[in-house]
Amino acid sequence: MNRRALALLACLLGAGARAEEFTFDSAEFAKKPFEFGGYFELKAERAWLNRDGAFYQLNFFDQKQRDTLDRKTGTLKLDGKLTQGIASLKLRANAEVRSDDLATEHSYRFDEAYLSLKPNPGITLDAGKVALNWGKGYAWNPVGFVQRAKDPNDVELAREGYTMATADFIRNFEGDLKTIAFTPVVLPVRSQTNQDFGTPDHLNVAAKLYLLYRDTDIDFTWLGNGSRTPRFGIDFSRNLSSALEVHGEWARIWDYEQRSVGPTGAITTSQRDATSYLLGLRYLTERDTTWIAEYYRNGTGYTESQSQDFYRLAGNGYSRYRATGNGALLNMARQASQSYARPYAGERYAYLRASQKEPFDIVYFTPSLTLIANLADHSWTLTPELLYTGVTNLDLRLRAAWLKGGAGTEFDEKQNARRLELMARFYF
Amino acid sequence: MSDYRKPIMKKLSVLLFLLAALPALALDGTDILKKVDRNLEPEAYEMLRKLINVEPDGKRKEFVLYSVKKGRDKVVALFLAPQSDKGRATLRLGDNMWLHIPEVGKPMRITSLQSVTGGVFNNADILRIDYAAEYDVEGTEDDKDQYLLKLKAKTAEVAYDRLKMWVDRKALLPVTIECYAASGMLIKTLRFKDTKDFGGGIRRPATLETDSPLYKDYKSVMLYAQIKKREFPDEVFSLNYLPRVEDLRK
Repeated sequence: MNRRALALLACLLGAGARAEEFTFDSAEFAKKPFEFGGYFELKAERAWLNRDGAFYQLNFFDQKQRDTLDRKTGTLKLDGKLTQGIASLKLRANAEVRSDDLATEHSYRFDEAYLSLKPNPGITLDAGKVALNWGKGYAWNPVGFVQRAKDPNDVELAREGYTMATADFIRNFEGDLKTIAFTPVVLPVRSQTNQDFGTPDHLNVAAKLYLLYRDTDIDFTWLGNGSRTPRFGIDFSRNLSSALEVHGEWARIWDYEQRSVGPTGAITTSQRDATSYLLGLRYLTERDTTWIAEYYRNGTGYTESQSQDFYRLAGNGYSRYRATGNGALLNMARQASQSYARPYAGERYAYLRASQKEPFDIVYFTPSLTLIANLADHSWTLTPELLYTGVTNLDLRLRAAWLKGGAGTEFDEKQNARRLELMARFYF
Repeated sequence: MSDYRKPIMKKLSVLLFLLAALPALALDGTDILKKVDRNLEPEAYEMLRKLINVEPDGKRKEFVLYSVKKGRDKVVALFLAPQSDKGRATLRLGDNMWLHIPEVGKPMRITSLQSVTGGVFNNADILRIDYAAEYDVEGTEDDKDQYLLKLKAKTAEVAYDRLKMWVDRKALLPVTIECYAASGMLIKTLRFKDTKDFGGGIRRPATLETDSPLYKDYKSVMLYAQIKKREFPDEVFSLNYLPRVEDLRK
């Protein structure tokens, strides 16, 4: 009897311990009309400056010459959503304070702020500031006509949207064609609205047609003539196996205007049609290494000789300024630099990223290595990264970057030669 | 009994025996698998799950997911916790899988062997569709009070090439599943526990534990709650709807 009582007690204790071990109170996760969250991020960076680089000389010509630049950045991202029936209000705010050896700067903005109506799951109407993300490329999106360019070194970074009215109409079917979705966009550009999109005083019209056809994602994207010249694009993405995905994008831009520096240093504007495309794959090996590879042909980019003409102008302008104090040539280069300073302004790039999930049995630890190479001038940037997400609601990331290339090449003319960055992000 | 009746009686006995055995024979492996699918979940449902990854030192990381399913192979799962993953949504249509990260905005194709949560469960486990949609029954064995189903993947896109599934003969619910790669290597073992009545005629295991020889001393657990039958329009299971899955919750 005593043994039975003991056994029963042991069973009860065991059951209690197990229940205590894994519990799930689902009531905690009941839907609320107002959802709120976000994160706070602290970033400390040291950049080793490239004093021979064209962009260092353009940015630091009138300042005390330095070898390093330290910067601390604090970012607060707030995310809120108020839902009432078929209507919802979505807000995504960004506040940032940057302090380095040169200045302290603040910026505050809404990345997104829009009203959404969903009369049924097949129809959505949005109006306000919306961040669209078109295209299948991982590092670049030549078919993303109505969005800000992403940073290939930080592709998951949230981007600011544009003020627009947009809709989504979705229909699903049985058979080879499983889904059709149509997304029209109306995007006004005025002196106070979307002014960085392009020429003001235009009501721009764009659209995307999405098909899921025979297990392949296919998008057709289009932007009509307006603040930017007209353009049309196609993209696709498909899983070839449980470990291999392939994707691509193709875009045609008509009457693209390009400002460039000629061999004599004169700045000219030319107009031409441009074709950009991208081919890529993502492959997961049996050892849990994810490889991402992309080839990007930037039809709106500068040729190697065009880039060298600009670097020469910047170098000559800087030398003359240092020697005589005459900044005329340097100012010409500074004006042209707006076009040449845009990231990945060359014609041909390769992107290769390898990330290893949880090596050495350290869970939530992901080291990765990213190589971006300018295939025309053979310069490159290499970015090793260590990411740890093992503490709930805390991401820790250590990242370095090396930029390398011969004289007069893209990554040899950048402001930085190396960079080290430590980031901590707390979610709430 | 006269002699001429003896053969008739013998034939009748055999016939009666065969008739009695008919239900058992009729329930072949494919039927068992289909019943297992329906007993685990209704064809169209919504539910909440907590996914717990346990490290060898006992340290845990927990995720809470809201999932909806329609038909044999359409599943959507939305992360409700932790805050760092909140709003992430995954979609599965047959062999196709996508992940939507709110900050990125654009759904990315993912593969079944990757894991959106880390730990032992991969995407195929988290976005599981009907077993009968992915596997053919190659063989059925009786194993005391259980059936042992030997399953073979229908295509190369399926995460596990072969499964050994032990099914409770009475409840027609899985007890243990061993998952094998094409090379024959055991990838992981799934253990179904704590059968519970969820209401609405749904009675199924509330706990799913898994471990893997590839992740020694690690364990992942899925706890199920609020499994309810619910119909959804097809449009819910599309890339464009992924950022709005939250709106399905009542």
